[in-house]
Amino acid sequence: MIKRFYWCVERALLFMISSIILFPILWMFLTAFKLPRDAYSISIIFTPTLNNFLTVFAEPWNLGSMVMNSVIVAGTTVLIAVPCASLAAYSFSRFRVRGRKFLFFLILSTQFIPAVVIVLPFFLMFRDLGLLDTRFALIIVNLAIVTPFVTWMIKGFIDAIPSDSEEAAMIDGASRLRVIRDIVLPMAMPGILTSSIFCFILTWNEFLFALILTRRDAVTLPIGLVSFRTEHGDLWELMSAAGVMITVPIFIMALLIQKHFTRGMTAGAVK
Amino acid sequence: MQDKSLSYALLVPAFVVVLATTLYPLGYSLATAFREWDLTRQIRPGAFVGFDNFAYAFSETGFQNSIWVTTIFVVVSVAVTLVLAMSLALLLRRKGRMHTFTRIILILPFAMSPALIGVSYRFMFNPEFGVLAKGLAGIFPSLAGVPWLADPNLAMGVLLATDIWHWTPYMTFMCLGGLASIPKETEESARIDGASTLRIVFGIVLPQMKGILAITAVLKTIFALKMFDQVVTLTGGGPGRSTETLAYFIFNVGFKWYDMGYASALAWILTAIMMLISIWYVRMLISDKKMATA
Repeated sequence: MIKRFYWCVERALLFMISSIILFPILWMFLTAFKLPRDAYSISIIFTPTLNNFLTVFAEPWNLGSMVMNSVIVAGTTVLIAVPCASLAAYSFSRFRVRGRKFLFFLILSTQFIPAVVIVLPFFLMFRDLGLLDTRFALIIVNLAIVTPFVTWMIKGFIDAIPSDSEEAAMIDGASRLRVIRDIVLPMAMPGILTSSIFCFILTWNEFLFALILTRRDAVTLPIGLVSFRTEHGDLWELMSAAGVMITVPIFIMALLIQKHFTRGMTAGAVK
Repeated sequence: MQDKSLSYALLVPAFVVVLATTLYPLGYSLATAFREWDLTRQIRPGAFVGFDNFAYAFSETGFQNSIWVTTIFVVVSVAVTLVLAMSLALLLRRKGRMHTFTRIILILPFAMSPALIGVSYRFMFNPEFGVLAKGLAGIFPSLAGVPWLADPNLAMGVLLATDIWHWTPYMTFMCLGGLASIPKETEESARIDGASTLRIVFGIVLPQMKGILAITAVLKTIFALKMFDQVVTLTGGGPGRSTETLAYFIFNVGFKWYDMGYASALAWILTAIMMLISIWYVRMLISDKKMATA
């Protein structure tokens, strides 16, 4: 009897939690398919339309170019940060480098520098160099946030790989570089991919840098959202359509790494 | 190549990136913090003014207000997120289809852009047509017509809600990881001896989770101190200055009023706060590891 009661309470709790998680997301998806007049009602029965998506990709919103900017900025950041971070992570994980603790602390502590501090000097420098409102500028500042973080994360994954097979191969005469390429890299791949996706998500959602460094040409998706706040009020149905465009690719990636993600998180935090 | 030189060589690319993208701006903004520099009047840094910018901060209401707002925000968001995350982890570590489903969708709020979260909560709490404002008014009639984002305390509440919704999942993952790493034996034997679930949780599980919980708390503190995105898209710092966090205040000083000297000084104050917490954090990580290997 009591057990049955607990069982019901637990189901009810889980249902409530899932609703709290999903509701804001579902509401945004619904609104994205509503006509403007329906967007201002809370009815869930309405005639769905794809017009909002057509509108946001047309003039004057040009969501397409923002998608391009976001893809290029996030993609390039990952391509630079992850290889650098993987090499450093291997070194931190396997070698007893002199001053290793200090170096690792240096890497970690940069993670805790507020983004405003980083962007202020870069804003002044890019202004002098005429690089404001370029993707290049965004990539540079994004690297600051992302590189230390992935180093930390990948180190957690490499720590979890036993070093026995590496040592065996080296005794057999394989060089350290070959060991890294042929043994460590394949084994660390799931971790590296997880970290890459994680890093992509961080950059894709990045807001502060893009708000300060872009005006028109290099505007990314999260900044695009703000532009739907016009003098005629907030255009909710268009904001929601843009929101769907920001969210869908990231959700797919997030669900792909969901399993590894939990492990990577704790590996990085505990070790 | 020798291992020794290789070990350093592998570190070079990452350090070049980190030095160029963080240490250089840090140094530059520290130098600017001691100068007078109004960007609307001069394009080069002005006169050296010593600690004037720092002293000004402590005499000015905007800064004091933002410190107060940030403190409230950090305390509430860390406390609520932590309690929720730990409870969720205890609930979700069990087996079951609904448990698995909830664990999977838990990653969605975390993956969502914080700016977008701010926008969507602003939409849902609009007093005229927001679905949550209407829904809450339907359940509690006294809440009908409440101007959620126009009232200082309620606006802070909604801002906190966006942050808690965004971060609780990540913190739950960390707690789940922690729970998975503690040995099950003591818990099981206590259960066989007939100890109640509550006693097991408070007497056996939570004490072993101390390390993880401390790390989670510090991480969440750091994230909360940086609060910026939702302030822009949800409240704009308002009503009045009631949700103007330190990060948002610095942004205004630097990029609305273009006072580079003052903004740099403020940025360094925030950095100092975060550095102190992070040193404490890294210390804890190291001592925690010692405990684990001992």
